[in-house]
Amino acid sequence: MSETTFMGVPRDKIPWFPTIDYDKCNFCMECDTFCPHKVFERREGDRKLVVANPDNCVVFCRACSKTCGPDALSFPNKPEIIALIKQIRDEEAAK
Amino acid sequence: MKRAILSCNGLDKPEGSVARELAIRAAEAISGEIICPVLLNRAPARYKKALGENSLIVVDGCSTRCASKLAAGLEARVDRKVLISDVVKASGHKLPSTLTLGPDGLTMAQTIVDELVRNLNAPAAASESTSIFEAPTEFLTVMHDKFEFRIPVVDYLFNENDVWVRAADGVARVGISDYMQQKLTDISFFDFPKGDSTVEQFGELGSLESTKAVFEIISPATGTVASANSAVIANPALINEDPSGAGWLVELKLTNWPQDQEMLIDASAYAEIVKRKAAEE
Ligand code: SF4
Ligand code: SF4
Repeated sequence: MSETTFMGVPRDKIPWFPTIDYDKCNFCMECDTFCPHKVFERREGDRKLVVANPDNCVVFCRACSKTCGPDALSFPNKPEIIALIKQIRDEEAAK
Repeated sequence: MKRAILSCNGLDKPEGSVARELAIRAAEAISGEIICPVLLNRAPARYKKALGENSLIVVDGCSTRCASKLAAGLEARVDRKVLISDVVKASGHKLPSTLTLGPDGLTMAQTIVDELVRNLNAPAAASESTSIFEAPTEFLTVMHDKFEFRIPVVDYLFNENDVWVRAADGVARVGISDYMQQKLTDISFFDFPKGDSTVEQFGELGSLESTKAVFEIISPATGTVASANSAVIANPALINEDPSGAGWLVELKLTNWPQDQEMLIDASAYAEIVKRKAAEE
């Protein structure tokens, strides 16, 4: 899905995805059960859950964080991401 | 306005204990009737009169929001809602660790009641709309397999998060697209944003829940929440029936519309997005 874009910008240039704080996560798997986009994957070993497909995450969605009791999921700052998208679009337009 | 209180009964979680305590204290403070969620669920007719005469203060313990979901199926008028887990988080207090509330838990419940009662005179969460918007007449159609997605054309703009917006006289009306409505299937709950709260473009405007999924409503514009559609709050199926018209969700007082529009797309560009998304499924 490398051609996937969001607002005209290649998806892989937009760093929007959840980050798991492993100091807080208790591997309850609520977030993985909740998200329909296969962003998370379960693994063997210490880190039983990882963000395996960050580009599958819907840009600006934060829904899974509400299912997380220990508040272990964080997302980038929205205004910064919006500014980045604008900047990439402007650069493309100037080409 | 007469109000009744529909609260989480909360027998298995501390959030529930706080919700229950809050409901009892709030009912006393405003001389309102308490509606038992268990009885309501078993025998809705028992509360027909109370629901007809009152607007509801809905109190949920945790984010499962059983009380709100009960209210959504009843065509009841929801005037206020309180989500204990959020209120506690926002206040910086800690939830009680046991189901029996100690002095701290009781004080917390009373503080939330005081705050609630103080705010009862402020404008309701869902006020009536301005209704300056006519029903859409012209549509683009995207076909995919046996599905048909209708995209309203004139005056409608979209973000790529499947939310539409139309603006007139500094007010914007917001809803979800036909494509998203069909993807979610039967929508059973609209968790609407608070009246007068401000939202940035791409910020969150509440959420929708269906039998299949939860959908976060990503705001297509910057502004202040002027109203939420009370018809949809009472009967969320309206979104499935008429997503671009009567099933609208929120109205915003716009504060940055000229810039907001730069980040939105028109119906034909949105049609391309729908084609791509439908093909990827
Ligand atoms: S933010 Fe939304 S799309 Fe992204 S991982 Fe969470 S639920 Fe899935
Ligand atoms: S919901 Fe939170 S605690 Fe549970 S697995 Fe996901 S990140 Fe970890």
